[in-house]
Amino acid sequence: MSKYSDDYKPAELMCVAVAAEIEDGDILILGSFTPLAFVSYLLAKVTHAPNVMYMAYSSVDARPFRLSFATYEAAATKGGVARWNMTECINSLYLGVGVDVEPISSIQTDQYGNINLSVVGDYQRPMLRGPGGAGAPEVVKMHRKMLGYFPNHSKRTLVPKVDFITGTRWKIGNEERIKAGLRPGPIKLITNLAILIKEEEGRPFKIASVHPGVTVDDVINNTGFELAIPKDVPETEKPTQEQIRILREEVDPYGMVAFDFIPGKERPAYLKQILDREIKALGY
Amino acid sequence: MTRRDKVLNQNKVAKLGDITKLIEDGDKVAIGGAWLSSHPMALVRQIIRSKIKNLYAMTILGSIDIDLMVGAGCLDRLMFSFVSMEAYGLPMNFRRAVEKGGLKYDEISGLAIILGFEAAGRGVPFLPYRGPFGSDFLKQRPEFYKVINCPFTGEEMIAVPAIKPDVALIHAQRADPAGNIQIEGTAGSDLELAKAAGKVIVTVEEIVPTEVLRENPYKTKIPRFYVDMVIEQPFGAHPTSLVPSYVGDPWHMMKYMEMAASPETFKSYLDEYVMKSEDEYLEAVGGLKQMNLLKKLAREVKLL
Repeated sequence: MSKYSDDYKPAELMCVAVAAEIEDGDILILGSFTPLAFVSYLLAKVTHAPNVMYMAYSSVDARPFRLSFATYEAAATKGGVARWNMTECINSLYLGVGVDVEPISSIQTDQYGNINLSVVGDYQRPMLRGPGGAGAPEVVKMHRKMLGYFPNHSKRTLVPKVDFITGTRWKIGNEERIKAGLRPGPIKLITNLAILIKEEEGRPFKIASVHPGVTVDDVINNTGFELAIPKDVPETEKPTQEQIRILREEVDPYGMVAFDFIPGKERPAYLKQILDREIKALGY
Repeated sequence: MTRRDKVLNQNKVAKLGDITKLIEDGDKVAIGGAWLSSHPMALVRQIIRSKIKNLYAMTILGSIDIDLMVGAGCLDRLMFSFVSMEAYGLPMNFRRAVEKGGLKYDEISGLAIILGFEAAGRGVPFLPYRGPFGSDFLKQRPEFYKVINCPFTGEEMIAVPAIKPDVALIHAQRADPAGNIQIEGTAGSDLELAKAAGKVIVTVEEIVPTEVLRENPYKTKIPRFYVDMVIEQPFGAHPTSLVPSYVGDPWHMMKYMEMAASPETFKSYLDEYVMKSEDEYLEAVGGLKQMNLLKKLAREVKLL
């Protein structure tokens, strides 16, 4: 029997790919509830990166927990060894020590790796007002590597130039980064089609791998900027059977990982059924 | 109150209706909590009930607190780094207000707002940091972000000005009558808000004698010389969470999202839930039974 699974959802493949970017010994911050990123963190911690430190809400070094929509914050808080407030986390970790990776989903990204969480259209009278960047404007340049994820890889999300630069890697290319006092490391985009990587300022994003069943042309046709295409583009590693088992049985039994892939209109119903199942499982 | 008066006054206990003594139309009001956690929601509802207007609200990571005040027409202006209902969707009142151009706003990066509060709390006019170089914030808000050189190394840094709210609103677990505040869980940057603001109003789950605080003094995060008023208001963060006391109320959040979808249904939301007493609010969202469930859920966690 193959160690790889053939029975996985696109969200699970993406989640495993994001988790693979987390290395043992990393420091990670969990803040705004972004389901796919949360599941990736938890998966990494219970598999290949057991010594990772999470800062979650006010909880320092939170233990991994079973993801539940009703209780994720309480779980992260209960498993901690200390409680720090947001200011302590930011001053000590983001600005002092340096957080390693933090997958961020944004409205748009562009050929420079800039991200936009602010507006689509004119800044003062936008067509769409987004949530804003929280700490991203300052911190994405500081991460060991910058990680963007997009469950909807298209010319609307991967655009030539973002409408507003909410956050940027600022210095791209290891030499430039070290000169500016920043840690070396690339920009990676993990999408529902492929993994893209940018390592040098003047060079375009390169296709690092395409997901099983996706062609290089699919990726090119859905990207709003130029890509570098290596001669042999590898296929993204599939999730293993063990990873899928851990996801579904231990980390995320209610399928929160798929949330980002659910169309906006169907999300309330999706959340509702997760909540109903959680409450039933608890015997209420 | 002056600092001396805040120290001299050992009984700051008040009722929700008393907030109009400290908050005036047009004030700069900083709202505590972060994400969907620990927002001073009873105070937000009381601002709406009291018809306080033209406020300049300041939030670091806002959610339903900001969306409610925007929708109810309390705000003239908003400073924020993030306003999101996270998995529940987009904050519709906030979106409508910005997209139609009715709300003046200052979008400031998250660390810069915190730093501005810290500067005010330390009594300095600005603080430097490795700010959002390369982002459009520097172009969009040149009055807020200044590139300076370190006087020692010459390195380029970004300076942000002190932010001084008139009033900070905070919800926490516990206080004594003198206004010493205990926070047990998710704290956002509430302490920095308290240090920066001229006046500080805190609602708490319970007011207890000072001796009770002394049993666990490490939980006391805001000492009384910052605080002007304490109000006992159980479930004052509802429908946001106050971990580890209770989780947020996902059922009510979904109800809110449904009703905030259009200005007409949002008007009904205000009538059904906000424009009544806080006791009636808690009854309307499910009463004691629901509150007990949210408390129990805060303990129902499965660590791996």
